[in-house]
Amino acid sequence: VVLIEPDFGLHILFIFYSIMLHDFTPLLTAVARPLFLKSASCIIQRDESPMEKGLSGLRGRDFELSDVFYFSKKGLEAIVEDEVTQRFSSEELVSWNLLTRTNVNFQYISPRLTIVWVLGVIVRYCVLLPLRLTLAFIGISLFVIGTTLVGQLPRSSLKNLLSEVVHLTCCRICVRALSGTIHYHNRQYRPQKGGICVANHTSPIDVLILTTDGCYAMVGQVHGGLMGIIQRAMVKACPHVWFERSEMKDRHLVIKRLKEHIADKKELPILIFPEGTCINNTSVMMFKKGSFEIGATIHPVAIKYNPQFGDAFWNSSKYNMVSYLLRVMTSWAIVCDVWYMPPMTREEGEDAVQFANRVKSAIAVQGGLTELPCGVGFEGNGSLKAEGNLQTCSYLSPAVIILKKTSKLDRK
Amino acid sequence: MGNEASYPAEICSHFDEDEIKRLGKRFKKLDLDSSGAVSVKEFTSMPELRENPLVQRVIDVFDTDGDGQVDFREFILGTSQFSVRGDEQQKLRFAFSIYDLDRDGYISNGELFQVLKMMVGDSLKDWQLQQLVDKTIILLDKDGDGKISFQEFSAVVRSLEVHKHLVTVV
Repeated sequence: VVLIEPDFGLHILFIFYSIMLHDFTPLLTAVARPLFLKSASCIIQRDESPMEKGLSGLRGRDFELSDVFYFSKKGLEAIVEDEVTQRFSSEELVSWNLLTRTNVNFQYISPRLTIVWVLGVIVRYCVLLPLRLTLAFIGISLFVIGTTLVGQLPRSSLKNLLSEVVHLTCCRICVRALSGTIHYHNRQYRPQKGGICVANHTSPIDVLILTTDGCYAMVGQVHGGLMGIIQRAMVKACPHVWFERSEMKDRHLVIKRLKEHIADKKELPILIFPEGTCINNTSVMMFKKGSFEIGATIHPVAIKYNPQFGDAFWNSSKYNMVSYLLRVMTSWAIVCDVWYMPPMTREEGEDAVQFANRVKSAIAVQGGLTELPCGVGFEGNGSLKAEGNLQTCSYLSPAVIILKKTSKLDRK
Repeated sequence: MGNEASYPAEICSHFDEDEIKRLGKRFKKLDLDSSGAVSVKEFTSMPELRENPLVQRVIDVFDTDGDGQVDFREFILGTSQFSVRGDEQQKLRFAFSIYDLDRDGYISNGELFQVLKMMVGDSLKDWQLQQLVDKTIILLDKDGDGKISFQEFSAVVRSLEVHKHLVTVV
C-alpha cells in the first residue's frame, strides 16, 4: 500500500523528538529515581492467598478457635480495598516518572527533585504539546478531507484501496501526534477479512493503535463534538456497522446484522472490545458473550501500555474526552505492545460464555494482565450498571454496541 | 475543609488523619445508595466478600447500635480494631465477639455450633460438628459452667500471635 509520508519538516521534528524520547527520557528517569525515595505503593499490604486455599486448609485439619482470624482478616482487606475498583483508577507506579498525575501520594521530597520536575513540565507543555497539537490538527484535517473525497466515489475496489490509504496515513500521523511508539508482535496473525477482532480496552486510543496497522469496521457509539466529526467522516469512506438505539435491545437483530457483515468475506474485520468499558490496563474483565455467539473466527489481540511514559487509561467518570486527550498529549509518550494471536473458533460442546472466557484468558496471558471474574452489564436505557462492585459509568466506551442510525449511513 | 466533609474528632481510633480520610473515601464508595450507612447487601456486592463465610458476623460485630447497617462511626471503630497500632486485648475481644452471638460475654455450645457451621458449611455433618463443639468446650471450659468466658478464650488463643493475624494495614 502506498503511504504518503508527512512532509519533510515534520519528519525532522519527529526524528528530533524520537531521539529525545528514546535517549533523554530514560536518562531523566534514571537520574530522578535515586532522588525519589518514597515509592507510590498500593494502599494496603494484602494477604495474597486466595480464599479457596483458606477454606480447604480448614477442612484438612482439626478446628481451632483461631480459624476465624483468617476469614475476618481477608474480609476486612476486601472491605478496605478490593481488587475490582482498583482497576478503575490509574495504576500507581513503583518508581516515579515525573508525572504527578500518576503519583497519587505525591509529596515534596527535595528542591533538586522539584527543579527536575519543573523542567519536565516546561518540556512537556511548551515543547511537546504544541508539536503534537499541530500534528494532530494536520492528521485530523487530512482525514476528514480525505474521507470526504473518497466517499464521493462509487463502491469499487479503487474506493476501498483509496480509503485504506487515507485511513492508514492519517492514523499514522495521529499516532505520531501522541508520540506513540508501538511494537507489533506476530504480525502474521493479523485479523483477516470476514473475522472479528477482539481486544482488551483501555482507552479510545486503542482504536487508533489498531487501525494504524490495518483497517477495521467499527461497531460503536457516536459521540458528539470532535469524535462525532471523525466518526461521521470515517463512515463515508468505509462501510461500518451501525445500529439504531432501539434495535440494540433486540439482541437477535444485532447478531443477525453482524452475521450478514461477516458472511461477505470481502468486508473488513469487525473490531469489538467485549469488556464493554475502559479498564486501567492491569487486568482483563469479563467479556460479554454477544460477539462470541456469532460464529465467526475470532482474532484476539492483546494491547499492553507501558505505564512508565504516560498513562493511557481513560477514566470516563473523571475526565471528558478533551481533557483526556490533553493529558495524553502532555505525557512523555504512549508506548505500547500489540500482540496478534492465532485465530480461535468455538469448539464442539462449548457455549458462548466458555468460549468468551477462553479468549479472555488467552489475551490476559499474552499481555501479562490478570483476569477478573466480573464485568459490566446494561440497564434498560442503555447505561452501564455494575455486575460486581463497579461504579456506574456515565459515558460508554466506543466498544459497546450502541447505536445511532441515520438513513444516510445505512446503505447496504 | 474545602468540599470534603470533615469527620468528627470524637471518633477516637488508632488511625491518623490520613488513614481516616482514605477510609472515608472507601466508605463512600461502599455506600452505593449514599444513605450514610453500608448495609449487608452493599457489603456482599463485593465479589471477594461473597465467598467469605464470616461477612455477616463481622458486620454484626461492627454494628454496635444494632440497626443492621454500619454507619461511618461504626466503620471506623470497627476497622480500628484491625489497625497495626491496636493492642492485643482489643483484637482478642474482636475475635471473641465473632463467636459470642448474643453479646453476653460467654460463648455457649449453641453459639459455637452456629459460627462453626458458617465456616464449615456442608463439609461436616451436623452430628460430627456437634461432637467437635462438645470436645472444644470440654477442653477449654476450666470453671465447668459449660460456656467459654473471655478469660478462658484468651488463655488459649493468646499464644497464637493474634497481633500478627488480625492486622490490616490501611
